[in-house]
Amino acid sequence: MSRRIKLALAAAFVIACAVPAAAYLKLGTRVGNRTVTLAWRQFPIRYFVTNRDIDGVTAQQFRTAVESAFGKWHAVPNTTTSSQFVGFTQANPVSGDGATVLGFQNRPELDRTLAATNFFIDTTTGEIVESDIFFNSAFAWSTVDAGVTGRFDVASIAQHEIGHLLGLSHSALGETELRSGGRRVLGAEAVMFPIAFAAGDINDRTLKADDIAGISDIYGTATFQRQTGSVSGTVTKNGRGVLGAHVVAFNPASGKLIGGFSLSDDGSFVIAGLEPGPQVLRVEPLDDGDISSFFDETMNIDVDFKVAFYDKVVVVPRGGGTRNIELKVQPK
Amino acid sequence: MLAFCLAFGAALMLGAPPAAAQAGRTPPRPTRPARPTPHAGSWEVSGGFLWQGGFDLGDRSAELTRNPATGTGPFDLFGSAASVGSGIGAQGRIAGYLSRNLAIEGGARITRPRLNIALSADAEAAPDLTATETLTQYVFDGSVVWHFAPFRKGRAVPYVAGGAGYIRDLHEGNGLIETGTEYHAMAGLKWWLSSRPRRLGIRGEAGLSIRDGGFDFREGRRTVPVASASLIYIF
Repeated sequence: MSRRIKLALAAAFVIACAVPAAAYLKLGTRVGNRTVTLAWRQFPIRYFVTNRDIDGVTAQQFRTAVESAFGKWHAVPNTTTSSQFVGFTQANPVSGDGATVLGFQNRPELDRTLAATNFFIDTTTGEIVESDIFFNSAFAWSTVDAGVTGRFDVASIAQHEIGHLLGLSHSALGETELRSGGRRVLGAEAVMFPIAFAAGDINDRTLKADDIAGISDIYGTATFQRQTGSVSGTVTKNGRGVLGAHVVAFNPASGKLIGGFSLSDDGSFVIAGLEPGPQVLRVEPLDDGDISSFFDETMNIDVDFKVAFYDKVVVVPRGGGTRNIELKVQPK
Repeated sequence: MLAFCLAFGAALMLGAPPAAAQAGRTPPRPTRPARPTPHAGSWEVSGGFLWQGGFDLGDRSAELTRNPATGTGPFDLFGSAASVGSGIGAQGRIAGYLSRNLAIEGGARITRPRLNIALSADAEAAPDLTATETLTQYVFDGSVVWHFAPFRKGRAVPYVAGGAGYIRDLHEGNGLIETGTEYHAMAGLKWWLSSRPRRLGIRGEAGLSIRDGGFDFREGRRTVPVASASLIYIF
């Protein structure tokens, strides 16, 4: 059976100095009338590393940092991902050559992009067949354990980009503020948040609950399905669905925050990978920054509503879901 | 008890006229005296209302990892303060007396307290709100009950009780069930409305219920006050 394979979106950018707030989002592609989740089907993921040293980071150091980042994603309990370093290559991390390559490239024209991930996918199934990650050597980098002020941490940025490589899009679980010259991140609780902290920060080496829920939603085993639950429902405004609303589930017992989005015109949302027990739901517009960091720009994302809490405690069952929750929001 | 019965029988015999003088009449049959209730083998059933105290589940903020360039400590997205309110419920119990003082009792209690989670101080100014849920809490327990000497002409009987039980807490929709163990220590008073062997009474008690498991945000045991008032019937 012939498969139509094409290059699909460069989905993932980490923008150097600004942006949005709040949850995990899976990458997908349209197949006919439905959206299928992008995911690897063949494991281990075999990858190469570009054999190129840059100022402050050798190819070997880069490889070690990348291997560590892969390892943290693979170590998420009750998931099934794995990877294998195949070797160094002279090839650049570009799509379409049949090899998954991670490495540095000097792209000074991308003055707000630290790194980006590209995919080659089977558009009939959503299977990822190749993915490449370039790290922009126009910025200063480091692999020092404690981080180096003024240099971006390879392991932290690799953690984010490998999340994309595995099929995760951006999380909106964070807050920003507007300043002269752009937005600044105040805080984030997801490695998959689209904006990096300042150079030298190493916080993104550690996966957060939102990241873990996201990767588990794609690659979770039956045990994961049995041990966690989901909430689903709709976000509505004046009786009509809200597209692109960011819904956050907060577990008041553990403090974990996991988010999701309403992804259709009727305002439907699903958040999976939640710990069983009471959860609080909060809904907010995606109005802190660049919507294109999360969605196709052709989508009519509604940001004209006020932040609100749901007035009921939502109880997540073990191995099941709480459905038909309606989050009513008011226009601004 | 045996001495009492023998003495009573003797009195009947002494008081009876000679059989010869009673020709043509059926002599009255000696009746067995009723034993005072309660006694070994007595049963007691009760049903009534129950109050259970609430408890605090603590405060917790929804924390984001702060960008070190903007300050120290976590960035609070919003705050939460959770508690389980006190609840009114019902209970039913049955007790079997092993002696006049000692009884073994089993029963079930149900209460429907409300879980309240107050949400406040939102970083994006979401209005403060208290999210709620009604829990249904069952306790199936067994107790040992010791009755002290009655007073007020035998109508008032103080007692103490202690025992353990099984907790079954259901969240709304019954989609999640949390179980645990309960221990309790109670003290109360039974007030009998008559002195008949089979009689009604009322019972009031108060004490402490120690919960290990069931619905809670933390591990370990939690003590809550409980009180109840019931109608009782002994036979």
